[in-house]
Amino acid sequence: MFKELNPILHSELRLGIMSILLSVEEADFVFIREETGATAGNISVQIEKLSEAGYIEVKKGFVGKRTRTVCKITEIGVDAFEEYVEALKSYLEINR
Amino acid sequence: MEAKNLNEKESLELISQMIRNSRLKLEDGNGIPFLIWGYTTFFVSLLVFLLVNTTGDYHYFWFWFLIPVIGSTGMFISRKSIVKHARNFIDRVIGNIWFVTGIAAFLISFCAIYFQIPILTTMFLIMGMGTALTGLVIKFRPLIISGFIGMASCIVPFIIQGNEQIIVFGVIYLAMMVIPGHILNYKGKKKDV
Repeated sequence: MFKELNPILHSELRLGIMSILLSVEEADFVFIREETGATAGNISVQIEKLSEAGYIEVKKGFVGKRTRTVCKITEIGVDAFEEYVEALKSYLEINR
Repeated sequence: MEAKNLNEKESLELISQMIRNSRLKLEDGNGIPFLIWGYTTFFVSLLVFLLVNTTGDYHYFWFWFLIPVIGSTGMFISRKSIVKHARNFIDRVIGNIWFVTGIAAFLISFCAIYFQIPILTTMFLIMGMGTALTGLVIKFRPLIISGFIGMASCIVPFIIQGNEQIIVFGVIYLAMMVIPGHILNYKGKKKDV
């Protein structure tokens, strides 16, 4: 039986951001942009969506005069990510 | 990377690639705190040794407190100028090791003002432990070795008597922190190329 793939995570950029935040405890906007190679505007939109879903926590602060946005994965985010990987496995096992 | 949907195989590949990449990036520039504290301790030891030796005035021992002042300022400046874009579990563990080590070092230095404590011996043990633990956490052999050498050096103040133990203290710190600090930075830069 196929498990449903979470539509919030089943997008290249959002999944990329979540994978990064799963392997580090927190990362700022610059780090995410460098790792994903995506545009700043696109990342902002996807971060907003992940934040609205409660998957990540976003903190805005300052370094000197520049703003710094730091993202951190939440418990809900970790659970959703685990469920997503489990669902992926079920698809791959059936396709074998 | 875009906001497009992936197939199942692409999703798994993306997850493993992102995790692999972000793990590698975090190993750069970790040697800077060792360089700051190592060089500061060495130069302050040299200064205290020269002043006490030339004047015979032991009030210059107060200059030991330049170590936390200069070291903390250096750490503050380095954190302001080098923004770390991501922090992982290892960063937090190392941060906590040095937080506890720093408090222990400060408390023992404070006690040494009022009580007779073998302060250099205690400092070798405390800072050697911090160095060895950091090396073990990041699995970096030069730090592990230098940390244990630092801890073993706790015997040195009992062997070398007089003001000479001050300069020996500085030199051992140079070996314990500065050498592995430079190696760590070199390895981090090499990974960037």
